[in-house]
Amino acid sequence: MSATTAPNFLLDTRGVHRALDAFVVGCAFDRTGRTAAFALGDGALHLVKLSDRENWTRVAVHDGATLALAPDIAPSGFVSGGDDGGLRRIGSDGEMGDISSFGMKWVEHVASFAGEKGKGGLLACAVGKHVHLFDQSGAKLKQLEHPSSVTGLVFDARGKRVAASHYNGASLWFVAAKTDSPRRLEWKGSHTGIAISPDGDNVITAMQENALHGWRLSDGQHMRMSGYPAKTHSLSFTRNGKWLASSGAESVVLWPFTGGGPMGKAPTEVAGGDGVQCTRVACHPTQEIVAAAFNDGLVVVAEIASGRIAPIAPPGHGPVSALAWSPDGAQLAFGTEAGFAAVLDLSGR
Amino acid sequence: MAESSQTAEQVPVTVLTGYLGAGKTTLLNRILSENHGKKYAVVINEFGELGVDNDLVVDSDEEVFEMNNGCVCCTVRGDLIRIVGGLMKRRDKFDGIIIETTGLANPAPVAQTFFVDDTVRAKTRLDAIVTVVDAKHLPQRLEDSHEAEDQIAFADVILLNKTDLVTPQELEEVERRIRAINRFAVIHRTERASLPIAQVLDQGAFDLQRVLQREPAFLTDDEHEHSDEITSVSFEVEKPIDPERFNAWIGLLLADKGPDLLRTKGILAYANDDRRFAFQAVHMIADGDFIGPWKEGEPRISRIVFIGRNLNRPQLRRGFESCQAA
Repeated sequence: MSATTAPNFLLDTRGVHRALDAFVVGCAFDRTGRTAAFALGDGALHLVKLSDRENWTRVAVHDGATLALAPDIAPSGFVSGGDDGGLRRIGSDGEMGDISSFGMKWVEHVASFAGEKGKGGLLACAVGKHVHLFDQSGAKLKQLEHPSSVTGLVFDARGKRVAASHYNGASLWFVAAKTDSPRRLEWKGSHTGIAISPDGDNVITAMQENALHGWRLSDGQHMRMSGYPAKTHSLSFTRNGKWLASSGAESVVLWPFTGGGPMGKAPTEVAGGDGVQCTRVACHPTQEIVAAAFNDGLVVVAEIASGRIAPIAPPGHGPVSALAWSPDGAQLAFGTEAGFAAVLDLSGR
Repeated sequence: MAESSQTAEQVPVTVLTGYLGAGKTTLLNRILSENHGKKYAVVINEFGELGVDNDLVVDSDEEVFEMNNGCVCCTVRGDLIRIVGGLMKRRDKFDGIIIETTGLANPAPVAQTFFVDDTVRAKTRLDAIVTVVDAKHLPQRLEDSHEAEDQIAFADVILLNKTDLVTPQELEEVERRIRAINRFAVIHRTERASLPIAQVLDQGAFDLQRVLQREPAFLTDDEHEHSDEITSVSFEVEKPIDPERFNAWIGLLLADKGPDLLRTKGILAYANDDRRFAFQAVHMIADGDFIGPWKEGEPRISRIVFIGRNLNRPQLRRGFESCQAA
């Protein structure tokens, strides 16, 4: 980019934004896509209704920091976990209820599965070594124990299994199993985050040693993806499962999951060149497009095949710490460590 | 970036070690209840003992993880990496972090966490390791456990507590034993862990700028050098150091003897450089950077300190001397 052709960032023309007063821990859209939420380090949740996006609602949810945010099972609303041990449900109008409380322990990860036709929704949270599983009504189904603290939590695309990363590997649990014994995916070292491919066959973890590790479930093949200058904090598969996008380098690192997987192949890199660390990635819910956010506040959207970049937000609002697409892929939300939060409408006009 | 200081934004972390019953919890309660106008996040592992109501108390299970980086003694506290990350999200709510370790804990994984993890390094700085020891029972602890010795060896500040339970002669003897292990730590004699908090917190002991600032006059006694007891030795040379020779020597030494070398610290005068180079290591994990220039007229003497087991004094001395520029 030369100085004379400054990119036309979309933040002002397509977005609404606020300077909130705390670290943006996470952002999400509810399942209707009508409301966005920003979870903050001061325990508050800021709700933005897209039909009235100038008026944001602040809800005090946790007494301490919010640590995790996910869309609720129900069509609207959110679920959040905090360092006050609370697992709470927040409706899109700001009404709030307790799902569970874990006392002194932190609720560090939250994941949800929508279910089908209003049935079979699931909610999971990680507290220390345990994953707690709840049904749609908030009733507790089971508690799953791991050999060490859980560092990442994800449902597969069909809600059949839930996977947790931890020290020396990951555990994969069948949600409906009568006897709870996980499939243990073992690899020495500290695993710090997790993703499952849309077809459910690949489990990928981020590792303390600036690398990714993967297991192909169908044949037990291990996958090692290394070369990152920093730890990967964000992993996202494209909807078609062809690419795994990852943070931790000065570009978006995309591993190919076609034709036998990433083994022996070089990753594709997009949105690089500025010498700034990528902190967050989020693949578009339908297209082969990835949103990427950086340590200087830059947010871009990149088309994977062509590598073409659309600039979304300029540097300057602090390291980006949260990034999410709406379910239809028309809206993008992001937030930063400095408390900057924005929602952009990227739909065709 | 190497010269710029980020310390203003980095949260100071104090690690509190000590055997069960030595007085750690008493000290912690003092820190939390005294009116010093500061707020601390506290990471503990035995919640029941802490009598103070503090909404920033984090209950944690110590999770010591091995690193896959080819370093046999490199372990980190996985739980601390997670907790520090979580606490940073509410950064504006506290002035420092205090980590209490269990009585039997080896301090190395805690210290190494602050060298190894990038996020922890960027957001926090290890301020000091504070070890509380019981004047009456320390001799027995040193007989029956490695950990008691390790905790003293790693300490920057030692509270020699429960001095009211021993005679002056016993106190002298126990202090002599501490000095034989670690002659560089600051020792405070206390009853019921009572001392001004400023003597424990904000010590800057791991700050490269202050690596050897507190070093006492060089001692020449060579007692207590048998086999697996921890001792400390230091050397100085007057001729400038050749950086390449030093790096080659220290790299090999840490790789070879890392498990025995608990802490290594040095201030070096490199040939043709007006800045002081500060170096420190915990086992094999090392860190070094240029700090401020030598003062006008100050003798440019390079010094290095080792605290560890099986220290071969003549060999270490010859090694360090061989790093002098030709």
